[in-house]
Amino acid sequence: VTATATPDWLTRPELGLCPCGCIGRRRKGSFVEKTMTGAAGVLRAAMLSDDTATGPGLLQRVDARVKVLALLASLVTAGLVHHVAVLAAMYVVTLALAVASRLSLTFFVKRVWLFVPIFTGVVVLPATLNLVTPGHVVVPLGTWFGQPVGVTAQGLTSAGLIVTRVATSISLVVLVTLTTSWSRLLAALRALFVPRVFVAVLGMSYRYLFHLLDAVTDMYTARKARTVTRDRDVASSRRYVAASAGALFGKAQALSEEVHFAMLARGYTGDARTISNTRLRVRDMVFALAVLAALIVTIGGDRVLVR
Amino acid sequence: VHIPDGYLSPATCGTFGVAMVPVWVTAGRRVRKVVRSRYVPLVALGAAYSFLVMMFNVPIPDGTTAHAVGAVLVACVLGPWAAVVAVSIALLIQALFFGDGGVLAFAANAWNMAFVMPMVGYATYRLLARHVSLTSPRRAVAAGVGGYVGLNAAALCAAVEFGLQPTLFHSANGTPLYAPFHLSQTIPAMMLAHLTIAGLVELALTAGVVAYLQRANLPLLRINHAAVPVHDGDVAPTRPFGWRWAFVGLGVMAVLTPLGLLAPGGAFGEDAPAKLDLRRYHLGAVPDGLARYAGFWHHALFDGYGFSHDRHPALGYLVSAFVGIAAIAVTVALVAGVVRLARVRRRDVESVPV
Repeated sequence: VTATATPDWLTRPELGLCPCGCIGRRRKGSFVEKTMTGAAGVLRAAMLSDDTATGPGLLQRVDARVKVLALLASLVTAGLVHHVAVLAAMYVVTLALAVASRLSLTFFVKRVWLFVPIFTGVVVLPATLNLVTPGHVVVPLGTWFGQPVGVTAQGLTSAGLIVTRVATSISLVVLVTLTTSWSRLLAALRALFVPRVFVAVLGMSYRYLFHLLDAVTDMYTARKARTVTRDRDVASSRRYVAASAGALFGKAQALSEEVHFAMLARGYTGDARTISNTRLRVRDMVFALAVLAALIVTIGGDRVLVR
Repeated sequence: VHIPDGYLSPATCGTFGVAMVPVWVTAGRRVRKVVRSRYVPLVALGAAYSFLVMMFNVPIPDGTTAHAVGAVLVACVLGPWAAVVAVSIALLIQALFFGDGGVLAFAANAWNMAFVMPMVGYATYRLLARHVSLTSPRRAVAAGVGGYVGLNAAALCAAVEFGLQPTLFHSANGTPLYAPFHLSQTIPAMMLAHLTIAGLVELALTAGVVAYLQRANLPLLRINHAAVPVHDGDVAPTRPFGWRWAFVGLGVMAVLTPLGLLAPGGAFGEDAPAKLDLRRYHLGAVPDGLARYAGFWHHALFDGYGFSHDRHPALGYLVSAFVGIAAIAVTVALVAGVVRLARVRRRDVESVPV
């Protein structure tokens, strides 16, 4: 364990729900503590990827541009594959890559499988019934309004496809984000296809995200310190949330003005600069070719299975 | 409404990618023209703010909490095009760094939450907050309703995207390859959750923040409302209702009436007795009264919205539409005239000294 390692209590995984809160079971609890937990979660994720991106490992050594292209190609391939077995094989390969990149396998597996049951399990289980996916009934479950109800073969295949595809896709994204530092990722985006000004905005907003996150944590810590009993008054709590969100907007706007003046003072003319990319090395080429070959084999294998 | 990778086919994601490019280009250009060199810091902080707004837990009465998206809030304060860029970047950071929402599905998510949501929500807000001062409570309510409508529009888009997958992409034996639910299932499921809980949370946060800014930080609201007067007394008197637009709308609807020719089937209860499928109602014959009164009136000017024996059905619809509008207008004018006459009479009676 090195001195820069993320503290253990910060890396404890939480259930990855949709941030808009529309999917999954909502837990009861104080909105103050939940917001603070959320803020700590963002910080934790960022610190974790900072730790792992500089570590020794296979994917850390590959050029970010190659990784981004390989990620997109792999995601499209995972989207085009029509067999559960092929997708499962792809998932096993991501596990192997995680081990080769010295990522914590428990974290890597949990990150995916705590998310999948909630989002996909809730969504997919009803889809196995013939009410949603008509087809050959393999497990009859009785009747409903005079219609036979049961689990269909088509429904089971479809559920398997969704679960393995979502798991593979999430694993692929996590592999890249955990092994690539943010500045390299930005440079790669600029080198590939994203306009420079967009990359500049992206980089700056990521940087100031943490500054504003501090402000949020401060506001909510102060609120928690002032609160003696539990918050029961929903209306006043909601007013507090609105006021803190409004105050945060004021801070963000004032900060943007200051940053703008600071940029002007340093000679900013509206032209953004980012890290210049180094030339691709042999091992990047080898990695790119290996990924390409693997994806072609995957698609080919999938097509063979179709017949 | 964050769609993860694996639920949408690559073709769907590609379609939304192509659709979003002109939106992003337009948004970038529009925002840049207004704020010039301030563009990068302003939009960057707007994006960081959009990211954080999704983190605020809003307490709801059942003891749990929920999140808002905040796209309409950003649109109200910074303008809709700035919201498009800011929310897109927030979504990109979420997808690339925190695994919320897919990387391939990024364009579809951006379409729902960074384009449809701020645009629909902002249009609603503008419509409701017309001729209202900057500090009026109605403006905060308008922003809240905008948030509600915008979020539901985004949820509807997501539901349609999910629901089209099994129809468009399935294997030979009917196995859905991506999201398995049909439109008839995704739309009620998504809309129930969003029309009730998520939409109201969005409403509460958007209205609450605008109300807070009205109280505490008016200059922030000025960024996007430079010409709006601060107090109610300074608002220019509203112009009378634009009759011209009412006539334009009526005219457009009249011109579109031949579309009815394309519609299959008929409206329930409008069929002639002979065309009724009476077996379905376990009836052996057309009931006596129905048969007698169905053909009671034979003197219609445009029978079945047509004339000259259906030789020009579209023309028949058009003429029917305009004659119908004219007939209704004449009737309304007559009634209004009678009412006015009666009023004048009564006033005359009341003003007679006793």
